[in-house]
Amino acid sequence: MNIEMLMALLGEGILLLLLGAFIFGNSFKRPEAKRRANELLCAVLTPEQYSQLTQRGHIDIPSPSDPERIYRVPKYPGRVQVREKGRVTMWLCLQPYDWVPDADVVVIHKLMIEADEETYLQKANQITPFSFDYNVAH
Amino acid sequence: MGMLRIISKRGDDRLFWNVQDAQAGDAEATAAIQEAERIFAKARAKGATAFRVEPGKPVERLEQFDPQASEIIMVPRVVGG
Repeated sequence: MNIEMLMALLGEGILLLLLGAFIFGNSFKRPEAKRRANELLCAVLTPEQYSQLTQRGHIDIPSPSDPERIYRVPKYPGRVQVREKGRVTMWLCLQPYDWVPDADVVVIHKLMIEADEETYLQKANQITPFSFDYNVAH
Repeated sequence: MGMLRIISKRGDDRLFWNVQDAQAGDAEATAAIQEAERIFAKARAKGATAFRVEPGKPVERLEQFDPQASEIIMVPRVVGG
């Protein structure tokens, strides 16, 4: 074995070690991130909303601009239902650009809907029942 | 006490400050406010949105850092999915 091969092997070994440390470190950080995110969620939601989230898997956030509209935000990543008079009128898709814990995503939806509904609706991709049927049919 | 929470992959990063102490001339308290303001501006420049969250009051979007706020939550840049 010559010196170049030895150096190449050593380099690969160091790279593998660094990759392992990165993956190992992240897998330990995520539970802590989730715990902190749950703390924030608990602080931001009303007791009724928190109870609804744990029991039904979603929270209903009333629209600040339309008393007949609610936004049904799921506990886990997914589409937000827009419901008017009990019927789904639209689905919304909005997510953080970078990964954050699921509980933080719920906080993001709540804050944006309650404080800046217009921007929220502008940024979210909107899927109406008609467009959904159209996409399925074609 | 004021608190700045920045939502991130770590859950949220928190910074605390005390306006009363800063007004009383405490250098550390003043530095804490300046640091919070700097982080606020940096997050805004990256596309984050800030919200003032006060107990018993409606959530309010915040364009500029307010040291009088008891809690500010910064939401990272969002995109349509």
